[in-house]
Amino acid sequence: MKTKFTHFLTKRYYLLVFFSLLLQSAFAQQINVTGKVTTADGQAVPFANVLIKGTQNGAVTDFDGSFKISASGNQTLVFSSQGYKTVEIAINNKTSINVTMAEDAMKLDEIVVVGYGSQQKKDLTGAVALVKPDEIQKRQVTTVADGLQGLVTGVKVRGGGRPGQEANVEIRGLKNLQNTNPLYVIDGLVTSANRDFNPNDIESIQVLKDASAAAIYGSRAANGVIIITTKKGKKGPLQVEVSAKSSFTTMPRYDLMGTEEFAKYNNMAYDNAGLPRQNLNMAVNTDWQDAVFRTGMIQDYNASFSGGNENSSFFMSGNYFGNEGTVVGTDFDRISFRVNSSGTKGIFSIGENLAISNSKTDEMSGNPIIDVYRMTPTIPLYDASNPGGYGYGKQGVADTFGTNPLAIADFANTINENFRIRGNIWSELKFVPWLKYRFNFGYETSFDSYKFMRKKGSWTLNQPQDPSQTDQNKGRSETLLFENTLTFKKEFGKHDITLLVGQTYQKDNYNQIYGTKRNLPMNSGTGQYYEVLNQGDSPVVGGFINEAALTSYLGRLEYNYDNRYLFNAVLRRDGSSKFSDANKWGNFPSLSAGWRISNESFFKSEFIKDLKLRASYGELGSGNIGNYEYKSFVNNFGQIVLGKDQTLYPSAAQVKLSNAELRWEKLKQTNIGVDLGVLNNDLRFTADYFIARTEDVLFGFPILLTTGNDGGNPISNAATVENKGFELELAYSKKINDFSFNASVNFTKINNKLVSLGNGQNENYSGNTVTRAGMPVGMWYVLQTDGLFQNQQEIDNYKNANGKVIMPNAVPGDIRFKDNNGDGQITNEDKAVVGSPWPEFEMGFNAGAEYKGFDFSMNWIASNGAMVYDGFRSVVDRFDDNSNYRKGIQPWTPENPNTDFPRVTKGSTLNSRGDTDRFLESGNFIRLKYIGFGYSFPQNVLQGSGISRARLTLSAQNIITITKYQGLDPEFTNNNIFERGVDNGAFPNLRTYSLGVEFSF
Amino acid sequence: MKKIIIITAAFLGLVFTACENELDLNSPNDITVDQYWKTESDAQAGVNSIYAMFYKDGLWARWIYFRLDLTSDEGYSVSPWTELADWTRFNYINYNFWEGNAVTWRDTYKAIFRCNQVLANVPNIAFQNEEDKKKIIAQAKFFRALHYYYAAVIWEDIPLVLEPSTPQALPQQKKVDEIWAQVEKDLNEAFEDLPRDWSADQLGRPDKGAAKAFLAKVYMQQHKWPEAKTALEFLISGAGAKYSLVANYRDNFTDTNENNAESVFEIQFGDQRKGGTGEDQNAAVSSNRSQFFAPRGIGWSDGQARIWLVDAFKQENNKDGKLDERLRWTLFYPQLLADFGDKTYGRNWEWNNNEAWFRKGSRDYYRNNEDYYNQVNYRLVRYADILLRYAEVLNELGNTAQAYQYVDMVRTRANMNALATAHPEIGNDHDKFLERLKMERVLELCGESVRWEDLKRWGDLNNQASVDKIALRDPDFKNFAVGKNHRMPIPQSDVDNNPNLEQNSGY
Repeated sequence: MKTKFTHFLTKRYYLLVFFSLLLQSAFAQQINVTGKVTTADGQAVPFANVLIKGTQNGAVTDFDGSFKISASGNQTLVFSSQGYKTVEIAINNKTSINVTMAEDAMKLDEIVVVGYGSQQKKDLTGAVALVKPDEIQKRQVTTVADGLQGLVTGVKVRGGGRPGQEANVEIRGLKNLQNTNPLYVIDGLVTSANRDFNPNDIESIQVLKDASAAAIYGSRAANGVIIITTKKGKKGPLQVEVSAKSSFTTMPRYDLMGTEEFAKYNNMAYDNAGLPRQNLNMAVNTDWQDAVFRTGMIQDYNASFSGGNENSSFFMSGNYFGNEGTVVGTDFDRISFRVNSSGTKGIFSIGENLAISNSKTDEMSGNPIIDVYRMTPTIPLYDASNPGGYGYGKQGVADTFGTNPLAIADFANTINENFRIRGNIWSELKFVPWLKYRFNFGYETSFDSYKFMRKKGSWTLNQPQDPSQTDQNKGRSETLLFENTLTFKKEFGKHDITLLVGQTYQKDNYNQIYGTKRNLPMNSGTGQYYEVLNQGDSPVVGGFINEAALTSYLGRLEYNYDNRYLFNAVLRRDGSSKFSDANKWGNFPSLSAGWRISNESFFKSEFIKDLKLRASYGELGSGNIGNYEYKSFVNNFGQIVLGKDQTLYPSAAQVKLSNAELRWEKLKQTNIGVDLGVLNNDLRFTADYFIARTEDVLFGFPILLTTGNDGGNPISNAATVENKGFELELAYSKKINDFSFNASVNFTKINNKLVSLGNGQNENYSGNTVTRAGMPVGMWYVLQTDGLFQNQQEIDNYKNANGKVIMPNAVPGDIRFKDNNGDGQITNEDKAVVGSPWPEFEMGFNAGAEYKGFDFSMNWIASNGAMVYDGFRSVVDRFDDNSNYRKGIQPWTPENPNTDFPRVTKGSTLNSRGDTDRFLESGNFIRLKYIGFGYSFPQNVLQGSGISRARLTLSAQNIITITKYQGLDPEFTNNNIFERGVDNGAFPNLRTYSLGVEFSF
Repeated sequence: MKKIIIITAAFLGLVFTACENELDLNSPNDITVDQYWKTESDAQAGVNSIYAMFYKDGLWARWIYFRLDLTSDEGYSVSPWTELADWTRFNYINYNFWEGNAVTWRDTYKAIFRCNQVLANVPNIAFQNEEDKKKIIAQAKFFRALHYYYAAVIWEDIPLVLEPSTPQALPQQKKVDEIWAQVEKDLNEAFEDLPRDWSADQLGRPDKGAAKAFLAKVYMQQHKWPEAKTALEFLISGAGAKYSLVANYRDNFTDTNENNAESVFEIQFGDQRKGGTGEDQNAAVSSNRSQFFAPRGIGWSDGQARIWLVDAFKQENNKDGKLDERLRWTLFYPQLLADFGDKTYGRNWEWNNNEAWFRKGSRDYYRNNEDYYNQVNYRLVRYADILLRYAEVLNELGNTAQAYQYVDMVRTRANMNALATAHPEIGNDHDKFLERLKMERVLELCGESVRWEDLKRWGDLNNQASVDKIALRDPDFKNFAVGKNHRMPIPQSDVDNNPNLEQNSGY
């Protein structure tokens, strides 16, 4: 062993000697080499690096792609530029060398922003994914998160098509129980990439998935970090880019009965229950979906102006995004502007990024996705005899508490509006080339306005006749961020060291005032209400302030030996105002290492171009809780009535309990990964295995009701959650003459497990789920069905071990339930864990091709193994409560016994129970998330028009879905972590057809 | 180089010392608990918070009526919300069902938590007048007893919490006898320090009479007849005898004559605040009962009255040979218009001919619909109840003859003939008298949340034969399992997570 090692060292020594000899000879015969670097289609490549191989000497191409360098005639030049494949050309005593660089989809030299700095992709030791911004921008999305679906391993996105809806993101599984959304960092500002943010401004996106990568963000990085850098100006004359995209969106639809078929089964249900039939209004046949759903329209217009010179650059953009929803009374509008600029003088540089946006959402009232099937076809849309004039349930005629969605859209309207300014100013002092000080000041403020207007009128049976009312609030949030960092970066021979130290301070503030008035007057001429708070009576006013502060110290050491051994260490220390003095501070260290085997001298393979092993361990925190959770407060809102005159007296008491000893939630994550590039890096493979264990999970599990606690469960450091996962990505890209294509597959498998529930609790129930130690969170916990009773004999023979008839009240056609505990009756005790709401694996498949001016791309996503609860069927198939029914159902009747649909009856029998496996379905699906075609006009057509680039795009989203799921959309979202698999009227993803044009001047 | 080192050092020194004290942030919004409970006004607002519990939906704003009135044979539910209706007919499936069980349980303990906050903190507050302090503590004890009383009636064996709650608390379950003992202790102590009368502006607070009335209730549930007799005598003939029956029976059920001479303890409702039943800034001070109990099309109609009650009233006419007027003010029923000339909320009868709804507490006397802001005070204990209880106690103690006069006081106000005249067959027969008294209590107190405890006290839920009899007038009792359904299941989540708590047997 020892000999081998010595031998290895000796070999390296020889190598060194060889290189120094080379260097010396190089200095011997200098010649001047000039040339031009261009792309395949003849465009200049500015700022490309030209390096003499094996030396530190090099040059950079100018704006025309020209370069000039002095080297010796026997040396080799290495040309590299971000986004292109590196080219090596031996000089061979030539003085003029022109180089054509091929674009590289999977470049190793790509710069990856890792927080307070950047690294080359090849030097990464953690799990970091890069997303090409055009992958997101080509889709018609409201938020960045929507656009990430299917593009990155380990990143699960669930969104929906409600205007202004923001998607849920889960990076590497459910690691806590509060909120799985990652931390967004936009241009160094910790913020949220919510619907106010214009995705067209994105220059680059990186997803920091493991602890070592995210550790620099310490206490807020447990859910992963998405770093977004916005566009910068490039050197050269003013560049104008304009794009316009219009999309039509349509809802998927339920297949529901019309009046005739509905009447048959509704009457059957009443007959079977021995009840007099309803006096159904057979003259009416309302298609509630036609009334409520419509074709939506999205318009997205973007214009940007950019330019710069050697010392400064600027980028400006403006965007309008309008989404008229597919459901009546929904709308989203956003106008945004951005100015990014920077300048340099000597050792000093300064820059700013500033975005201003205003977004306005006409929110959905009630839930029309549910209402359209709760309303029966026999109910008219309008009924003048009802207060407000809309049709709804009527006793004995259409007995239902379903809500008329048109009425609620008319009578209860919510508008949210946000005006947001988000930006940062930074300055840098580069004392010497290897030492840089950076100050960053980030600022974000949002002016939020909310208006709810309740007009007089009813939307459901027996509704109290409430007076008109308006609730309004004005809020303002403000975030201040101060960051000081010092970066030391120097190479000592083969030792490349980067050291970063820094300190940050962030202060968040939100304040709100609100007011309510009732009995607002109406303008009898127009029928409009006076919706201002000056009008009306019964005023209520209020307001509150929330503040939080976070102070941090951070350090990172990057060490690279000879591009073979990579080492990365991070330490962040965070102090938060959200914890008591004893628990304010948390330390979050991480270590990672990489070994580029392919750079070892002993590794010789023409086939394998790149091979790197990575390993990391790190600890991250989370303090994602309310601002004052560790304190107990007195609620003095209440009042009481006393006395002869029934006057009000004050009341005050503690309502909500709290845990004073709250401390940081800690995520400990281990990651092992391999990167492999073969066939000249055309085929690239990345695999990662990780174990993420979250301890002291901050969550408000229900506490005993005998505590009398109200106002939310007190947060405690309760559970331990573990996620083990496996991620694979395989990508291939190739260019053959004018034809280029790429394809990639990503695969994610995550096993979630709740290790312990903490708090002395045994289990936690939420809806039809149970969360128990040793199992994934939120497992399905329901009664098990076992077919239908076909006759009385089967009922009589269905006995437990002691001969007790288990379901003596059953009637032929009823569901047989399993008596799991054998006590001879069907009770809650018979419930069993029957499945998991979590997918066994998720996949993405992306492909694209380009030929001359034509391009094509598509994204497929697939999810396998999740069991989901079909909330739609749990309403329309139960029959004890009136609703519309699924078209074509075949309920059991003596004449039609060969069916799995039980007899229908308008009564409370076990048939109608929602907590059974009857409504659980496979959530498997494969979906064409995006398909698009583009055509770029050739240069010769555009010549003389002043347009440098013109492109047409045609695309569609969500148009093919392969699934057996019977609800609207298997790719639904549920914000309740314990009921992630419950589709209870989730707004579906929409079929979207888009047409776009892009111009550059 | 030197310069760089100096700059670096200065930079590090500068920034690494700043900002740490910025992390001490207090909420600018609310007083913390450790800043509270310092002054007399803190104590006063603190004890008032217990009264605010009457406005919560688990208790006397809404759902407890489903437990006490609808579960009994007086009421039932045909709510389209099946689970809600199931919980009024012994069809308990999910023991955590919020509206049917858990919220009433939680709000009971929420009220007890408030009592315990007062009892733990107020003794440490310095008062100018020690009597004021005693009165506050006595009120807290009264209400702790009141809430434990109803909890014991509904669930029987329950955890006893006597200290302010903590998130980790795992309180010990006690047998119902121990709960009764604690209720007695609190009431006896409260009685000592409560005033005989409150000033007019404080009406609605419990006085000595209210404490004795609840003592009588808890003694009677345990069949401690002599103790109950003593307690009742305080109100009827003792130092606390200040009560009388109001001439107009309906004055007990409207907002026009509240806190009247018949009122022993009355929950004060108002409509000044139009919020919800939670803890918001605008939290309501109202009852939702009439919104939930009004006929279809007027209210939610989640609860209604059994039709046998109409027949019960019609068994005996009054002195003038006319129908018992109490029927008119007790129920909305198909012949209301024919019998008394009253429409139902201004409407002709548009409902089924075998249906009836509770009229007490409704506001049909001035409006045609209901809402969530009913301001009519709820007479939790009124003097008529006390008199009938006294008659019952006397009968149980063998003084049946003496008991008649108290029944007659109640009957006379309703313009009914004397009991001996109307029902000469009873004589001094204990059992016959009790049977009749049961009917008298229905006729006088129907829909006033006493029927469930009455049935339990009389043992009518203890054997199949009497349950079968009840089932004749209320078919829901066909579901009633003797030995099980006389108390409700405890919310399962508490049973599962508290090793010191077991589910009631049979569930």
